[in-house]
Amino acid sequence: MNTPSINVQELSYWYGKLKAVNNISFQVMPGEILGFLGPNGAGKSTTIKVLTGQLKPGSGKAQVLGREVGKEDPELQAQIGVCFEEKNLYLEMSALENLNFFASLFGIKKPDSMEALRRVGLAERAKDRVNDYSKGMRQRLMISRAFINKPRVLFLDEPTSGLDPVTAAEIRRVIQEESKRGAAILLTTHNMMEADQLSHRVAFINEGEIVALDTAENLKLKYGQRAVRIRLRNGTKITEELITLDNDNASTRIAELAASPNLLTIHTEEATLDSIFIKLTGRGLEG
Amino acid sequence: MNKPVSSITILGAILKKDLQSYARNKIYLFLTLLGLGFFVLIFWLIPDTVEETITIGITPSFETMIEETATELKAEGMAEKELDFLKEDILEEEISGEEEGIEIIAIEDEKHLKSIVEGSMELYRLEDGQLEIYDTTAKNAEKPSKLKEAEQVDLDIGLAFPHNYLTAMITGGKSATTIYTDAAVPPEVQEAMQGFVREMSFQIAGHGYPVEFPDDELIILGEDRAGAQVSLQEQMRPLLALMVLLLETFAMASLISSEVLQRTITALRVTPMKIGHFLTAKTIFGTALAFSQGVLVLALIGSFTADNWHFLLLVMFLGAVLFTSVAMIIGAAGKDFMGQLMYALLFTVPLMIPAFAVLLPGTAASWVQFIPSYPFVDLLVGITIYETGWAESWGPLIYSFSWVAVLYVIGLLILKRKAESL
Repeated sequence: MNTPSINVQELSYWYGKLKAVNNISFQVMPGEILGFLGPNGAGKSTTIKVLTGQLKPGSGKAQVLGREVGKEDPELQAQIGVCFEEKNLYLEMSALENLNFFASLFGIKKPDSMEALRRVGLAERAKDRVNDYSKGMRQRLMISRAFINKPRVLFLDEPTSGLDPVTAAEIRRVIQEESKRGAAILLTTHNMMEADQLSHRVAFINEGEIVALDTAENLKLKYGQRAVRIRLRNGTKITEELITLDNDNASTRIAELAASPNLLTIHTEEATLDSIFIKLTGRGLEG
Repeated sequence: MNKPVSSITILGAILKKDLQSYARNKIYLFLTLLGLGFFVLIFWLIPDTVEETITIGITPSFETMIEETATELKAEGMAEKELDFLKEDILEEEISGEEEGIEIIAIEDEKHLKSIVEGSMELYRLEDGQLEIYDTTAKNAEKPSKLKEAEQVDLDIGLAFPHNYLTAMITGGKSATTIYTDAAVPPEVQEAMQGFVREMSFQIAGHGYPVEFPDDELIILGEDRAGAQVSLQEQMRPLLALMVLLLETFAMASLISSEVLQRTITALRVTPMKIGHFLTAKTIFGTALAFSQGVLVLALIGSFTADNWHFLLLVMFLGAVLFTSVAMIIGAAGKDFMGQLMYALLFTVPLMIPAFAVLLPGTAASWVQFIPSYPFVDLLVGITIYETGWAESWGPLIYSFSWVAVLYVIGLLILKRKAESL
């Protein structure tokens, strides 16, 4: 289990003179979800295109399941699943036919496509043409298609982008199930909350470079401020006090206020991934 | 790593998917039904015979002209013996003998002749050979039942000779003859009629020709098709086969284009499918589709014979690959529906030109031979119309194969590049 499913070392990629990916290095272990966080045009999708064999690496090393990427490798392709940001489904075919077709490309003779659709809540509409599906239903089908071959490595490009909260939550649940099954997952998103919820580790990518890579907790600890915000009733007014935990007198002051009959609420003040990203890059994730 | 998926499995899956997509697309189905039904129907509705005889109406009849001329000359003192010589040995032989391909019908009244050529009167030949005129403009004139079953005679040209015509010719004078022609008669034929009258007058006047022709008169090089002219229906065979292939080109280009525009190729590329599988599947599907429909239409219009079926199948196969290659180029080039339509027109209209050159002989300029579809059409024309075989066709066959190879390689490269660049 110590062999990384995805191993990228000093990878770069150019579109003409534009360096889209700049010397990035990271690894994803089996069962791990690595969140790739960055704004549009940061290099997330290009990295996925390189790792899935759609683009040849410009320089550096990129391996998936121990095999170099960049050339047609059907044996490796059989082990990966990809959910694209654009919903590239066969619209004139039903969901069931879409899944059966892709399953047959993977050499799966008796695919359990209905079960796959049931998993994403599409079983009842399995025989409807995809053309008649809503955006959320199409996205669920995209996820289902990416999982049809029970891949060992999953590349999910903005899997919940533009979805309603209920559908997004369903998709996150399925992603976590795949992680528990043992699939290594590279998840690109510019949804900070999603990355925080799903990812075992998070990589911040900006202008083609990884500016930070660690667990969300460590990043918050490293770049955020450890503090507690306490609210008190003071007569008819409500007052707040921010106590920095790195302060020597912090524990005494917290205990003192906690014992006060005027205490209303105590909140820990953690940094968000979004605020850390802005701190590191000087720009927001939605840009 | 698992055992790799076989190419057969992948190709089979893509072909099955393409067939599903094709069968569900109303435009593709419409194009297919149009090709199969409409074209075959059109073929059988087109006349399958060629009228080789030109019917010319004259007024007055030769007999009337001769009798009147004889009376006139007799009154001027010509001896009885000389008159008989004129009547029997010169006049009748020179002007009443109908030549091959020309039928002369005498109408005694010039007004009637003019009206028949004009179309306001109709001329019918009854079962006993008698001619009868029917005035279509007459009020309350119901067409007699005997005419309904009689053969209508098309009279597009009428020659109205003056009553002194023969006398003038014999005595060295001049005469004015009126030629009536239908508006549809080509100018060349109108001029030929003038020549016909001049020649006849020249002979009646007793002049010899300053030129002589060999006994055979006309030496036909190649196959003499006199009496076996190619009908419009036969000429339609290669045109219809080409039309079917062109329609399938639209359908195939649309199928490829939808893969490009919906970016489903990208989804395919991250599976065990290689780009070569995709290109091979498109080649097989496009060729099979065009070939099967083209062959079916040719069969339905009766183009296959015991002698030509193998040759015709080979030529149709080459044509199917040729047009599948064009579909690949069109499908890869269009960025949206309108773009694809523009490219389709850009490529397919020039490909039609050689086929129209068949319908309109003499219109093909030498550059038409450089159009990729030319050798294909040339072969189709040879096989389906003139029954040419392998021996006479190696040149066009090799030329056709060369174009197919060139266009196929271009089609593959363009589509491959497009698939890889998405």
